[in-house]
Amino acid sequence: MADAARAQPRTPAPFRVGPALLVLGLGVLGLAGTVANLAMLLPAGGWWAAMVRPDASVPVQLLAAYSFAPRLVVSLLAGAALGLAGAILQQVLRNPIASPTTLGIESGANLALSSALIWMPGLLDFGREWVTLTGGLLAIAVVLLLSRRSGFAPLVVILAGMVAGLYCASLAALLALFESHYLAGLFLWGAGSLSLQGWEEPLFLAPRLAIAALAAALLLRPLALLGMEDAQTRSLGLSVGMVRLAALLVAVALTAFVVASVGCIGFIGLAAPALARIAGARRIGAWLLASAATGAALLWATDQMVQVAAGVYAQMIPTGAVTALFGAPLLLWIIPRLRLPPAAAGSLAVRLGQSAGRPGRRLLLLGALLLLALTVSSLLGPDPLGSNLGGWSLALPGDPSAVWTLRLPRAVAALAGGTLLAVAGCVLQRLTRNPMASPEVMGVSAGAAGGLTVAIFLIAETSRLEQTLAASLGAFLALIVLLLVARVSKANPERIILAGIAVGALLDALVSVLMASGDPRAILLFNWMTGSTYGLDTSAAGASLLAALALLALLPLVRRWLGLLPLGEDTARALGMPLGAGRLLLLMLAAVATALATLLVGPLSFVGLVAPHAARLLGLRRPLSELYGAALIGALILVTADFLGRTVAFPWQMPAGLVASMIGAPAFLWLLSRKQVLA
Amino acid sequence: MIAPPSPAPALFDLLDAQMRIDGRTLLHPLSLTLPEGRVVGLIGHNGSGKSTLLKLLARQHAATGGEIRFEGRPLSEWGTRAFARHVAYLPQSSPATGSMTGRELVALGRYPWHGALGRFTTVDRQKVEEAITLTDTGAFADRLVDTLSGGERQRVWIAMLVAQDAGCLLLDEPISALDIAHQIETLSLIRRLCRERGTGVIVVLHDVNMAARFCDDIIALHGGRLIARGAPQEIVTPDTLARIYGIPMDVIRGDGGGYVAVPRI
Repeated sequence: MADAARAQPRTPAPFRVGPALLVLGLGVLGLAGTVANLAMLLPAGGWWAAMVRPDASVPVQLLAAYSFAPRLVVSLLAGAALGLAGAILQQVLRNPIASPTTLGIESGANLALSSALIWMPGLLDFGREWVTLTGGLLAIAVVLLLSRRSGFAPLVVILAGMVAGLYCASLAALLALFESHYLAGLFLWGAGSLSLQGWEEPLFLAPRLAIAALAAALLLRPLALLGMEDAQTRSLGLSVGMVRLAALLVAVALTAFVVASVGCIGFIGLAAPALARIAGARRIGAWLLASAATGAALLWATDQMVQVAAGVYAQMIPTGAVTALFGAPLLLWIIPRLRLPPAAAGSLAVRLGQSAGRPGRRLLLLGALLLLALTVSSLLGPDPLGSNLGGWSLALPGDPSAVWTLRLPRAVAALAGGTLLAVAGCVLQRLTRNPMASPEVMGVSAGAAGGLTVAIFLIAETSRLEQTLAASLGAFLALIVLLLVARVSKANPERIILAGIAVGALLDALVSVLMASGDPRAILLFNWMTGSTYGLDTSAAGASLLAALALLALLPLVRRWLGLLPLGEDTARALGMPLGAGRLLLLMLAAVATALATLLVGPLSFVGLVAPHAARLLGLRRPLSELYGAALIGALILVTADFLGRTVAFPWQMPAGLVASMIGAPAFLWLLSRKQVLA
Repeated sequence: MIAPPSPAPALFDLLDAQMRIDGRTLLHPLSLTLPEGRVVGLIGHNGSGKSTLLKLLARQHAATGGEIRFEGRPLSEWGTRAFARHVAYLPQSSPATGSMTGRELVALGRYPWHGALGRFTTVDRQKVEEAITLTDTGAFADRLVDTLSGGERQRVWIAMLVAQDAGCLLLDEPISALDIAHQIETLSLIRRLCRERGTGVIVVLHDVNMAARFCDDIIALHGGRLIARGAPQEIVTPDTLARIYGIPMDVIRGDGGGYVAVPRI
């Protein structure tokens, strides 16, 4: 068949609309929405007059002039800027999936803004665009530094960018938890709200974007050459480094201006250039222009649709979240059609010096460490009751204050959550033959979160069992979508990761929209999303522990399959493994484990990604010892995170999931920077 | 020039087996008998259907028409593991193995015998060691497979197939990534397995000279159809080669009785 595949001509793209037609189509959609909205706002007509010379005595005319019209202009400007930024990044990095979102630039800029707002409000006097620019530049600098050794292999760059982005987002969430009074509005900002009260934002954006666009135009010719290999480019007499730096600066500036003005608007920067390219814009100049135009039209259409759909509540629904709701399915559709450079699979190969002579001994050591952490965590801590409030105390079993009975369930829940996530990560990595797979990266955790969110909002009182079922269903659905994409794109690891990003973003967007609706249940959801073990009682903790132990007991039954699957479908089938049934079983295992863990420690912890790698680093290679080692490491990370979260900022409580991601994300980035090998 | 039926009993029987995907015919209806205990080479141009045929035999794909029987029973009636105990298959590009030592990889060949839950018995262990000895891969048994050179890695994979203890090996271009010395070494190993253990081998090869040198029987496909079948000396003639590859070829006979096909330029 391989022969046949080689001889087979490339399947032609299903249709080729041409970039102009694409922009026109989106534009018609935007125009229709605009007309519909104006008709709702000003049924009497006279729209143009109302926007240009509003009659101050008619409130709806003021609304049209100072809210609707500037919002429209900003959506066009921001969309164009993000589309252009995405196209430049993709060209500079020769990476078809680069974008302000996937490289962490948006989150970095947003985090810089949040922290400046809290700690150094004075900085904002210089102009918030400088703050966001610094944040964005720092983020991309870190990402590029970490992926340098792989020669900026697309997958490595994107992974570093995603994790850096998620890390910034978690930090921003942590800030929001502590300083909620400052940041009430910032949350909406983070989700990209376009609601405006005047012409300041368009006037802020327009000149800055014009300067950046001019710079991009000047860089056009050198950028065209960057599409080639460095050596070739250099032989044509171009200073590759300078051009690349200048172009990156332009792209980051475009993004930073948008973030400073209206917050994070995800996906436009990824979808617009990809759409423009699929529509047939091939030459660099035409492509950059088409990307900007597509971005503008896309955001315009999305924003108008949001207003049509939401009616009077339009102010509350952040358009940035909705772009993800539209953009993510779009991305899923694009992924199989993207032309990726030849897979840099070798660049992520895990290298191991020597294997553990005695995996048993290492597992025992890990177990002992875990036991120690559990003991310390439940017995030791700041004294909440005694006279020396805030001082540390030892609460032994039998102690009258019985503090340990409050602490132990939380530690046990953290332990169970870490175990489940780590096992799910191991299973997914072996199942998809992708060292970067994990519940967090692949959107399975987000699926569980989505399922739970829907359940909380649809059912008045949810029991724990109902929550578990809903979360499992969500996780399973997310996995099914992923596997469908994987099937279409022949299990290419880049595409699977991309599909995971899309699914994750889709569900995050859903949650953001619900949270922004101001529903009181949203606060509950937010607390849970950050992964707090606060308020878990003994029975819930006990049940989770039992579930985790049951999972561990089941693992030996699937160890052979987990050994065969990394060899690929053909070999596994040739050796007589029941592929369909086996895969389905493992998927369900991973989905249920992720769902249970997500209920305990939230969707953001990175343990599922880091723990299997840590186990392999310790020399635990064979399926079963890797699984158990990862489980112990995952449990250890989360028990420690829970302990730190309860004690470091006492009497404040930091959620265990968030603290774990503070540990897990840098650990992952470190792994990534160490493990990459020049392909 | 279909050769007279081989004297050896049949391993595979094909009855109008064919393969069509999305309206394209990869393999036209083909009726064929493949004998036991011989090395059969499949040759042909790119896209001639030789890999497709091998994948149909290996049950990697189901034929879209006709029937294929293995040892007299239709393929669909074989259980997955039962089939794997009889037929071993090596895909075209051996996948990355992650962190796995040679011996661990070879031991995976015992899966059809012990299954998902069965114990790894002393018999299994013995078969693994036997396979390692037979393929002379002892030196790589404790090294990570991904650190081996191409030729060494291919030998470890073949050792895995040997440990599978199947009476029939299906190999898809096992030498395409190897240098000439390793090509000879791998094919000699395959031929030795056939001679010493009576293993039936069906191997897809690109290089007609290698096929002529190591195969008992050659089947040539062209555009998804059988175009020639016979012993090497019957296939390696200017006329037949010209029909198979579509370019004029010369056959040079050496003094020792060997012969080499070269394109006429």
